[in-house]
Amino acid sequence: MATATTAPQRQFDPIWRVRARLLRRGALESWAMFRESKIGLTGLAVIAIFFVAGFVIHPVLWGGPTLPEWFPIAGGQKLWAPLWDGKIYDPILGRPLVWSEEHETYIFTDFPAPPSLRHWLGTDPYGRDILSQILHGIQAAFVLGIFAALITVFIGTTIGAIAAYYGGFVDTFFMRLADIILLFPLIAFLIVLSGLMQMDFWSLAIVLGIYGGFGSITIVLKSQALAIKVKPYIEAARVAGGGHGHIIFRHIIPNILPLSFLYMMFTVTSAIFSEAVLSFFGLVDIKMSWGLMINITRDAGYLGATNMMQFWWLWMPAGLCITFLCAAFYLVGRGLDEIVNPRLRAR
Amino acid sequence: MRRYLFKRLVQIVVTLYLYLTLVFFILQAMPGDYSQIYIDNPQLTREAREQLIRDLGLDKPIEEQYFTYLRNFVIGQWGMSFAHGRPVWDIIVERFPRTALLFITATLIAFYLGFLLGKLIAWRRGRMIEYTSTVVGITFYTAFTPMLALLLVWIFAIQLTDWTGLKLFPIANFLDMDKWQLVNLGPHGSNVIFGYMLATLGALAAFIFAYWWLCHRFIHRPGVRFGALLGGYAAVFLLAGYLWVAVEPLAQCWPAFQKYGGRICNWQLAVDILHHMILPVTVVTLISFGGTMLLMRNSMLETIREDYIMAAKAKGLSEKTVRDDHAARNALLPVVTSFVLSLALAIDGGIITETLFSWPGMGLTLLNSVQEQDFPLAIAALVFTGVFALIAHLVADILYAYLDPRIRYE
Amino acid sequence: MTIATAAHKAPMLEVQDLTMHYFTRKGEVKAVDDVTFTLYKGEALGLVGESGCGKTSIAITLLRLLPENALFKKGHVFFYRPYDPQKAQRYIGFPVKIVQNGNEAYTGRLREVRSDAQLLLQARTNGRFQEIPVQVDPKAHFGVDLIALDEPRLQEIRWKGISMIFQAAMNALNPVYKVGDQIAEAINTHTPGQPPDQVREKIAQLFQLVGIDPAMIDRYPHEYSGGMKQRAIIAMALSCDPDLIIADEPTTALDVIVQDKILREMRVIQKKLNMSMIYISHDIAVIAEVSDKIGVMYAGKMVEVARCETIFQRPVHPYTKALMSAFPSIKGERRKLESMPGEPPDLIKPPLGCRFHPRCPYATEQCAKEDPAFKPQHEEHFAACWHPLS
Repeated sequence: MATATTAPQRQFDPIWRVRARLLRRGALESWAMFRESKIGLTGLAVIAIFFVAGFVIHPVLWGGPTLPEWFPIAGGQKLWAPLWDGKIYDPILGRPLVWSEEHETYIFTDFPAPPSLRHWLGTDPYGRDILSQILHGIQAAFVLGIFAALITVFIGTTIGAIAAYYGGFVDTFFMRLADIILLFPLIAFLIVLSGLMQMDFWSLAIVLGIYGGFGSITIVLKSQALAIKVKPYIEAARVAGGGHGHIIFRHIIPNILPLSFLYMMFTVTSAIFSEAVLSFFGLVDIKMSWGLMINITRDAGYLGATNMMQFWWLWMPAGLCITFLCAAFYLVGRGLDEIVNPRLRAR
Repeated sequence: MRRYLFKRLVQIVVTLYLYLTLVFFILQAMPGDYSQIYIDNPQLTREAREQLIRDLGLDKPIEEQYFTYLRNFVIGQWGMSFAHGRPVWDIIVERFPRTALLFITATLIAFYLGFLLGKLIAWRRGRMIEYTSTVVGITFYTAFTPMLALLLVWIFAIQLTDWTGLKLFPIANFLDMDKWQLVNLGPHGSNVIFGYMLATLGALAAFIFAYWWLCHRFIHRPGVRFGALLGGYAAVFLLAGYLWVAVEPLAQCWPAFQKYGGRICNWQLAVDILHHMILPVTVVTLISFGGTMLLMRNSMLETIREDYIMAAKAKGLSEKTVRDDHAARNALLPVVTSFVLSLALAIDGGIITETLFSWPGMGLTLLNSVQEQDFPLAIAALVFTGVFALIAHLVADILYAYLDPRIRYE
Repeated sequence: MTIATAAHKAPMLEVQDLTMHYFTRKGEVKAVDDVTFTLYKGEALGLVGESGCGKTSIAITLLRLLPENALFKKGHVFFYRPYDPQKAQRYIGFPVKIVQNGNEAYTGRLREVRSDAQLLLQARTNGRFQEIPVQVDPKAHFGVDLIALDEPRLQEIRWKGISMIFQAAMNALNPVYKVGDQIAEAINTHTPGQPPDQVREKIAQLFQLVGIDPAMIDRYPHEYSGGMKQRAIIAMALSCDPDLIIADEPTTALDVIVQDKILREMRVIQKKLNMSMIYISHDIAVIAEVSDKIGVMYAGKMVEVARCETIFQRPVHPYTKALMSAFPSIKGERRKLESMPGEPPDLIKPPLGCRFHPRCPYATEQCAKEDPAFKPQHEEHFAACWHPLS
């Protein structure tokens, strides 16, 4: 009613402004609903904490990014004075030496060292700082998870839209493929794959993204796309002379995109988890990650049932980080689920 | 129902075929075929190498290799293990039942637990129990499995032993070597005991279901039925116990089955395996019940809005009847369907758990073979895991058809 | 207040000031507001009104089948049965109402059943709670407040006292159980210990009564057609010989021929078993066919209650008049059909004063300010309007 009366004054608005307004309204409404989901908000809060730790605190400690050599001012130097001495706190190359007043030189001490003022979370079996490794691991986890999830969303929406639009053999083929992937244990596949090819950080992210993209997300997005395919405006677009590509990319995909962002959250969870497990088994060629931290602990023999609690700082921070970050993305996914799936709404 | 099952069976066979094809082409696409490792052995002469390539069929066109691969899969010619020097099939036949027992037990417990909790938290929506169970469920669901397993070992095998002074739970492994060394059962003795154990458990399970069905079909008075069930179950369990403990016909028909010095009996060995199973089963249960619980909760929330639930309440049925017999019974259907999703997850969890507990099943075999570059075994284990997932899928389908009369009486 | 006017009839259900709102994200939906009416034994009351005016909400409030977000505000629903000292024992501690000798009524919390003919009620008189002994004659009617009852006692009344035919009959049968078993479940709950053969016999009789082949007892709901499901639901509603049946849009989903047939059959069954009925429908033609009395609802309020003929011939409320003229008359004179101007109001923020005033041709300033009381206009005729039409 209200929009009908005000529409004539606004009819000259450019289309992008109308779209922006719609987008803003949709986003605000979704946020209002999301805000009511306690578990979703909890998840978001945890993600925010990790994000700040990994992408704000960590750069502050390290003096920000290193400027390129050709830069006129302070080329090749850090943006500001690092709070951490790179020689001691580097997560991978950190020097396992401690300054000794008595000997007036750097000496070896017993590693792994328990938490101290110098190393808040202690050091790993090679004397490297655990806290620094954890912070580095946050970046690795986020980059891997988001990168894999973006690939998943890209593949999933495209395949889902195409399968729904064309139907027939294309549809059957992709649905059967999704069935296989859905039924199939990911970790088992990754373990064998890592034996067949050398897996590093990026190839793992790509494999996880592709795996997710052809999996369950296509089934869900396809059914959503099918519901959109029969809407009158699709018919209208076709009558107006829109080609297949135009209809798929301008009409169907924008409509299934919100749902695919929901599934993105679950892909992030599974990507972080899979990376951690593979690193734990030592099957990924990766510099530092939470899974690898536990793998190092295990290989050095500090993860036995009898001594693991004695050396808790070696594995517990990393293990908890994996658990919390996975849980956080999963919770956000569930919170979004309650928005997208109207039947779950409380009222 | 027959049509439905036939359709599902055809679908599964097609999926299996696609899966095998996918695995074949992924292997082909890998940089550097794994057989290269075998062939590139510098000790081989040129002739021997060419002979080997011919023997392995690597000189043949790819289509032919593909058909050979499919044929070999069907007839069970899965190759020789590099590391074990035994046919891959033999290794899998030996290891698979151990995984199956672990997995089936854990899955059944997890499914029932998830069903029960999901039902309760949906019914008591917004109460404390919902938040507590959701948080606990999600924590276990997303917990880093190795950490969870290690913590459980620490609590139950180390701390509990310290507090009570009793060795209540073993830390790892399939069996206790000290016990088994007292009995000379030959190289594969544990498989024999384990085989009989599986047979006993399978027979018991079959009897429990069949007898339950018979009682419900033919005895209508609730009191009598309960008595008959109780009596029947007690009798059969006693019989099974008697067969294992007192009678030794098993021992006579198998020469390796002789007691050694009368110190260890067969049933003690079986109990030893079961004892080692407790912690791994707990871990797999914990990591997989959360998924079912959350699924059940959502499904239940959707179901309790249905008109027939209001009708059931209006009929004056008690809350428990409405919840259990009407709401939960219907909410179970989509959960069984989506159960397939958690199956893959549970298998993954199983692989990690087996590794951590040194449980010599398919998961440990898979990981070890990859680490030892024993690719025929690794790939066979992967393929077989896929086949197992498909079979589990089919079972879930049959269960679904049984539970939903709309399909049963199609 | 309403009991006294019909001294000769036995009361069945008395609804007083019933108010129930729904809590939603946007605000409270005032779905049922101050609804009052009385139903007598053997009578059929039809509730009509536009969709969304609170008819179904009344039905589910009566049986307390409310969803989680329903807020019960105030009111009483007294459900009457002939007085029986043994049964009265079960309601000690709950609010009851005793009606006898036509117009004598006592309300209060039941304290004690002293003897077959004497009860002790705790009632509020002059601002203080007092225990008053009540002499009960054997023909008295004993009413319990369904709103105040606890769950087990309410479960006894559901289906045995008041059963219901649901709006969406298609979905009111549980898809995983045989229809016969679902009916047997109701019978076994309310009269436990019956041999299965006898229950089956009873269900077969019910099926014959509503016109379904008894062979369908062992079939699942998905094997029934729409009309059969509807009949099965009616059979289920009759299964415990209830005193009152609430039929919420009993035939909406069916085609007109089947609809008419089922309505006639229900009317016959109702008369034969001397049951009370509440029909709920937006279709005044359906209501007119089966009801003795009609209640007209508008925006959560009861605006007029009167006998069927009275509503058609001498409506008092302008909304009733407008509603009548929006439907073709079945037998009366030919007249022009008029559509009603305006939209039904938003129940989250209903208009102040009389809720109908924005659409009412007779509205005055008073109508916009004050809410008219629901009061007797003629004999057995109640309405809430500042400017009654007759």
